Amino acid sequence: MKARTRQIAFERTTLVVILALYLIPVLWLVSTAYKPPREIFSSPPTFTFSPTLFNFERIFQLFDVWQLLKSSIVMSLGTTVLSLLLGVPAGYALARSKSRYAIVVAYFFLAIRTVPIIATLIPFYLMMRDIGLLGTWWAVILINTTLNCAFVTWMMFSYFRALPRDMEEAALTDGCTLWGAFYRVALPTVVPGIIASALFCIMFSWNDFLTPMFLTNSDTKPLSVALLASFGTKDITWGTLGALAHFSTIPIVLMALFLNRYFVQGLTKGVH
Amino acid sequence: MATTSVGSIDFPQRKASGLRFSDRRRLFLVALAVPAVVYVVLVALWPLAQGIWYSFFDYNLLRGGGRRTFVGLANYAELWTDSTARRALINTFVFTFAAVTLEFAFGLCLALLLWREGRFNRICLAFLLIPVTITPVVVGLIFRALLAVDYGFFGYYLAEWGISGPRGFLASTTAALPVVILIDVWEWTPLVALILLAGLKSLPGDILEAASADGATALQRFRLVVLPLLLPTVFLALVLRVMDAFRVFDTIFVTTGGGPGDTTNSLMVYGVKQGLQFFNIGFASAIGNVAILCIALLCAVFTLLIRRADVKANGQ
Repeated sequence: MKARTRQIAFERTTLVVILALYLIPVLWLVSTAYKPPREIFSSPPTFTFSPTLFNFERIFQLFDVWQLLKSSIVMSLGTTVLSLLLGVPAGYALARSKSRYAIVVAYFFLAIRTVPIIATLIPFYLMMRDIGLLGTWWAVILINTTLNCAFVTWMMFSYFRALPRDMEEAALTDGCTLWGAFYRVALPTVVPGIIASALFCIMFSWNDFLTPMFLTNSDTKPLSVALLASFGTKDITWGTLGALAHFSTIPIVLMALFLNRYFVQGLTKGVH
Repeated sequence: MATTSVGSIDFPQRKASGLRFSDRRRLFLVALAVPAVVYVVLVALWPLAQGIWYSFFDYNLLRGGGRRTFVGLANYAELWTDSTARRALINTFVFTFAAVTLEFAFGLCLALLLWREGRFNRICLAFLLIPVTITPVVVGLIFRALLAVDYGFFGYYLAEWGISGPRGFLASTTAALPVVILIDVWEWTPLVALILLAGLKSLPGDILEAASADGATALQRFRLVVLPLLLPTVFLALVLRVMDAFRVFDTIFVTTGGGPGDTTNSLMVYGVKQGLQFFNIGFASAIGNVAILCIALLCAVFTLLIRRADVKANGQ
């Protein structure tokens, strides 16, 4: 018994040390935002500082923060809703189909997930330019929905496949419609899967940088692009960048922390 | 067309359609799957096909009025003769192999440490999610700042003590690639750990107990019982990370931009530069297609290796 307690204590100490070392970069980012510029650029670096909200005042002068937030929110929610609307029914259909092509189609969706974005982004860019959608939120939503809807389809395919058919069969015998068997019987039981899918979609599109960098313009760009695009111009210091990074990381980190049960569940079912 | 048949499926009481139940059910399922399939074909497969088509042309938007000239496989040949492209290809493989190996080794240790059920471990787990969920651009910027030689938290001392050279790790031709690999390891090790941990937790407890009752040591239990049962999860984690590491863009683009010289250039960074900054569409498409081929190849190799390992371990 004593050896066991000692082992647990050892494990916990190791974990705490690892975590502390691990989170130094994150703590540094957070602290930078509250440092006055003079102290960020002190050489050698200082470890103590007098906290200030100066950097937050600056970013509201330098950026249209609300517009950037709005872009990020519109694009990630748009992508997520569209991907769920397309992917959830498709996942159900593939899981319930008795055709031997169903598994082929499911693997097709999985394969689409693995395509490097550069291969589709260039022709897609030209396509958007030709139909006049370049620089709009739609361009980003449309291309990100391909990857995300493929991901949602595969993930929901695994969730629905693990679900016994008995309940739906019983409902159908009782006179339930085919749509009812899907919408009112099967769907409510896979809500955790839908939450997990939504979580990954939001995270992926919120953090996405490559597609909006080339598909949006200065009015429609999201936070992730503003972070880098503004860097290097005058008046941008690590402090203001740290302050802006608060807006791009805190919503998504909080969401993942609160929903971490679904996050872990999603990891084993789907392929992020 | 398809929509009218969906209408009749919605109301199965209406027997007028004259279809048997199994047929109606089949049609219903097809109708549910069709939107997603059509969407992916139009918005993903169609651009992919165009990309393959463009890759056989000399097609540059900034030169010759964007006219296309058929050049056959010249773009692919250039990928091999152009030293920058060759370097990018090699770098991508080195990056993928090194990053995924380290992430797997550290991730497995972390997962084993976190295996015990309990409140403490759940809290640790939640904190581990932070690097995974932070915007990758921000990760790149954090490390760029930390490694800056004049005021960076690490960079200043590394340069001061002569470890990194006066211009810092990210500007060094030998150290830049290992450093971007380590940034990737920092970012994604927790993800590997989380996947492996989920796998560990789903192992049947009675088998583990039986093994320890039979007097197996911790190491034997791990090697002979845990590892073989964990193989599918290991496979999932490795494939996932290999695919994502191969497509690395954000952190490299932000920290080094592929430099100094070509030392950290990856296929994605080079492809994006060629395609969307220099508008060299033909060549960039060839880069994209080669990236797809490499990923497909890596997946195939993995599937074979894992199958062989599975046969060896579980005797199937």
